[in-house]
Amino acid sequence: MERILYLTHTEADGGLSKVALETLTSAVELSRQLSGSTLRLALWGGAIQTAADAVAGCGAEETLGVTGEEFADSRYASDAAAAEALVRAADATFVIAPASARLARTLPGVALRVGGRIDSHVVGMGAAGEGVQIQRWYYRQRMLATMTRSQRPWFVLVDPGLFETWNGEAGSATPRLVEVDLPTPYDRTRVVGIEAAKSQAQTIRPDADLLFVAGAGWTKKQADGQTHVKDAEELILGFLDSAQASLGGSKSMVEQSAEGEDVLSFMSHLNQVGQTGSTPRHAKGLATCCHGEEPHVVGWRFIHERRAINTDPNCGWAQSKADVLYVADAFALTAKVNELLRG
Amino acid sequence: MENPAHVERQVLPVDIACVGFGPATGGFLSTLSRALADGDPAFESRAVPGMPLQVVCYERADDISFGVSGVATRAHGIRESFPDLDPAQIPMAHPVGHEKLVYLLDPLGTSRRSATLRGLDRTLRALRRILPLHDEALELPWIPGFMRKENGLLLSLGQFNAWVGAQLMGSGQVQVWPGMPVSEPLLEEGGVAGVRLVDQGLDAAGKPESGYMPGMDIRAALTVIGDGPVGAVGQRLDEHFGLPEGNLQRDWAVGMKMVVDLPEACVLPAGTVLHTIGYPEPEIFGFLYVYPNNTASLGIFLPSWLHSPVRASYRYLQHWMQHPYVWQHLDGGTMRSWGAKTLQESGRRGEPHLVGDGYARIGEGSGSTNVLTGSGVDEAWTTGTLLAEGVLELLAQKRPFTRENLEAAYVQRRRQSWVEKEGRVAEHARDGFQLGFVRGLLGMGLAGLTRGRLHLGGRPRRAREHVPTLAEYYRGRIPAAEIESIRETCASSGTPLHEALMERAGWPPVRYDGKLLVSHQDALLLGGKVQAPPGYANHVIFLDPSLCEGCQQRLCVGVCSGQAITPGDGCGVPQFDREKCVHCGACLWSCTQAREGDPERGNIAFRAGAGGLHSAEN
Amino acid sequence: MSQGFHLVVCGSIVPDPLQTLEPIQGAEGPALKNEMMLPAVLDPWAGHALYEAAHLAAATPDSKVWLVSLGPRAKLQQLMMTIAPKAAFELVALDGPAGGFTEAWETAEALAECIKTIPGLDRSRLLLFGGCASASRDAGVTMQMVGERLEISDQFLAVDELTPQENGTIRILERIEAGRYQVSECAGPPLVAAWATGRLPEPPNNAQLGMQNMRSIMPALQKAQPARVGAEGVEFLEVEVPKQRRNTRVVEDASVDEMAREIVEWIRK
Repeated sequence: MERILYLTHTEADGGLSKVALETLTSAVELSRQLSGSTLRLALWGGAIQTAADAVAGCGAEETLGVTGEEFADSRYASDAAAAEALVRAADATFVIAPASARLARTLPGVALRVGGRIDSHVVGMGAAGEGVQIQRWYYRQRMLATMTRSQRPWFVLVDPGLFETWNGEAGSATPRLVEVDLPTPYDRTRVVGIEAAKSQAQTIRPDADLLFVAGAGWTKKQADGQTHVKDAEELILGFLDSAQASLGGSKSMVEQSAEGEDVLSFMSHLNQVGQTGSTPRHAKGLATCCHGEEPHVVGWRFIHERRAINTDPNCGWAQSKADVLYVADAFALTAKVNELLRG
Repeated sequence: MENPAHVERQVLPVDIACVGFGPATGGFLSTLSRALADGDPAFESRAVPGMPLQVVCYERADDISFGVSGVATRAHGIRESFPDLDPAQIPMAHPVGHEKLVYLLDPLGTSRRSATLRGLDRTLRALRRILPLHDEALELPWIPGFMRKENGLLLSLGQFNAWVGAQLMGSGQVQVWPGMPVSEPLLEEGGVAGVRLVDQGLDAAGKPESGYMPGMDIRAALTVIGDGPVGAVGQRLDEHFGLPEGNLQRDWAVGMKMVVDLPEACVLPAGTVLHTIGYPEPEIFGFLYVYPNNTASLGIFLPSWLHSPVRASYRYLQHWMQHPYVWQHLDGGTMRSWGAKTLQESGRRGEPHLVGDGYARIGEGSGSTNVLTGSGVDEAWTTGTLLAEGVLELLAQKRPFTRENLEAAYVQRRRQSWVEKEGRVAEHARDGFQLGFVRGLLGMGLAGLTRGRLHLGGRPRRAREHVPTLAEYYRGRIPAAEIESIRETCASSGTPLHEALMERAGWPPVRYDGKLLVSHQDALLLGGKVQAPPGYANHVIFLDPSLCEGCQQRLCVGVCSGQAITPGDGCGVPQFDREKCVHCGACLWSCTQAREGDPERGNIAFRAGAGGLHSAEN
Repeated sequence: MSQGFHLVVCGSIVPDPLQTLEPIQGAEGPALKNEMMLPAVLDPWAGHALYEAAHLAAATPDSKVWLVSLGPRAKLQQLMMTIAPKAAFELVALDGPAGGFTEAWETAEALAECIKTIPGLDRSRLLLFGGCASASRDAGVTMQMVGERLEISDQFLAVDELTPQENGTIRILERIEAGRYQVSECAGPPLVAAWATGRLPEPPNNAQLGMQNMRSIMPALQKAQPARVGAEGVEFLEVEVPKQRRNTRVVEDASVDEMAREIVEWIRK
């Protein structure tokens, strides 16, 4: 019988993030599937009441909490202490947490402290007899494993974008507050602030419907034998602005940027999608001037509807990977698209 | 930023510097490192007193396993170095089993066949009831002895190199550094004093950028050049010292190949060796070697003496694969890797000066390839072992690496070796192909059967002396005006001209299956995993733009194995995309424009560069 | 600063990312087809960690870099020939499997125990570096567990910048959601930094540096201790490569205007 614990931190406003609510859906679903299992919630942060009330209707047996000023910041020492205390207090065998940056940093150490094991990039969970089996990625989203394990407690970090956001009824919760044995000193690390990425922040929109992937072709010589990097910049920024799209770049594109060649000034490693970059999730994706092979195409794995613009009808980014390939000059076509979007 | 020509460079002294890690250097270092590990006698470094002999090897590719060749070899020399060799130790290796030589007829009627050959084909078809003719092919009942690889080995060169390299580095006696292209020899006082590594932190045009790091000078008492048929150091030495009187380097070929997961139903056992002639063009030879685990190495050779300006190797490879005789084994298979390389087919006739003060040359670039037996790896390996024996002798005698001493210690060994004897037999074996396919085959047979005493044909010609223009080649089949119109269409759409012309001439379009029949670029990316690290200058240079502008053939574009060379705008200088280059070097010898003051060389400089293939299975 | 840093970088081999990967069922669980034949590279994010460490050590007197690598000895040897010319470090090698299906917990234990035995390592000056995830296991959990085992409670994940300040503190930028950075200040070592790409390009190959490094690398490889690392307690029920082939509609003959209209319709849908 699994004692499931849904564990997360609250945000600065005291609420829960989208991925936290998605992961709650997965936890509730798993507890339903696993007969005899129990579900508890554990929250920590500067304030937790708002969050606890918001998810009070999820059917959990109990909500545990750690709260206080010292737990407001995303800091390993205090976060790990809080999470450890919550896991121990809940006597959990299966800990489900959203893969936020804060939990991805915290949870592995916590698993070690309580003698457990951890899996990350988890994309599915289900009952297997009386136990649990999970699905998770290996090799940068190139292999999907279905697995189970004997060790407990078993921690899982659930990837974003996989489950519906939990939207059950709010209620009134009375979290059981758990004492935390903070290390001394716990605040050798001080959070100074949050900085926007150095590339133009408006080009990265994780919540956008559309991902625009710019390939190295934008900075290559065009039909007239010249490069047109400034034009490319204007067209791409224009598109991002009018389509409210997020910007991704192929590996060769961002590596050019790193090497200081003729580059798109706003492109950095943070934009890189694919094998050595990120695998963003968007409803739609439009790839332009990309050429690449399987590992980089991995960047498209979680793009639901995919279209591509390329002069090569056999473009590896598009064939068998995109729904539609427009064989055209991306400069001309993007200019026209921008015009129509603005109109 | 300083001009690279005048920049101060770091200097690294070593005792022996090797250029290029292939079978020749593998043989050299294996023999040498074994003796050094033996420690009797112990050789102290002169370059770094107090240290053991400092032996380094610099390889251009990013990994020592990125060599290209499906090898069927008698493995005389390799087995001499490893008497207890168990092929199972080397991934993809297998003893040679059943060998077949197959003449492929033209099932489509599109290949360029002479009247004689067409007559032969008609006769064969007429006699199909009594001849072993099936699937548009004739399995020859007998393979000449000089071609057979009995008791030999099938190897993937990449895996063989990796296996040799692991042992070498494990010995701790020598160091093999991949990803370190050598730009040129240090030519001093009539000899070679070491090598210079390529500059890093350059833009494509060779201009220093912020991360500029001048290539280091590696000073060595002995420089061993094993950088293959188109290596930058070998080329520079040939330019500087010339070739020995009477020697010529005019015969070349580009070999293009794949490693394929054969379909489950394939019945060919591991060890099978198929050699084909006759299709897709008569002069294009093919091979298929079956490795363990139902995989195969297969490909074609497109020779410099092909009397056609259409050099679309990849397209030819696809048509060869789809020949009914070959396709019966491949249908349903999947490409695992792809690659291409140049073969120096002049062999013994193309031998450069093997030694000079401070240097010695081994391997394919030293003229060791045998075009009669169709063998080069074992010969290259053996030249390396012969040099190592000579070097050990000189070290033991504490004699310097002068031309005279290297002549006595290495060249004499080589002259007495089987490599030399067989190389001499093969020297004129392919001359008959200058006169046509049938005479070429007869010439090879004659040379082989008479041990080189008889042969057919004359001196090999330079590319510009025998390759017709497209208009000449297609006269009577495609009007010149239409060729120009196709050329313009291809230029504006960025599609390959040679493939378009082949289709116009009757070759059917290739229907991609996404597994084995894939676009050229997919072969490059999925099979060859081609890439180039940033920070290096372009290594393919079009020297005199005016020559390119007036060039009609543009073989460099058509022959480019990676589609890295494209026509450029209008009729100007072709464009080179370093990220697609597989470093095969076919552009170097295909150029039909003579370099000013040097009629043996074309208008393309093929220098040392980084990147290329990233497949370890070729 | 009176004392420099002791920088320990954890990093090992992964298959060259360009290779086609295919899972097979091996004798001890899932593995990669032709795993030993696949060319290997230094795990990319661990590589960034190594280059950042070397850069920091070069800029901070009395500092030293160790690279702790767990992998098959022969493969490590090959890998060293590609990274030794790029950064100055001393290798500490562990001979064991480096495949993705090994357990992070076990790998962390082997690495931590090995780090504890590094002669001359002053753990009060330790900056423990690694990648924020490997390209093989891709878990992003190992470095935190190594840090825990070394009792380091200041840990940072997905670091792109780490700057020692004049007052002895260390300023760190970690990637967080929405393309932003969390900026933290840590009182000083010891700390764990699991790097993302950092700010430095891959260093050029320096032949002399390579030769110097090799003098300590070869002995380190020869005395590499075997590390038993597996996936105890894990049962892999299935490992597959996700199918992702689509039927691509190729629009070739339409005008730019027609294509643009279709794209805009699709975007607005």
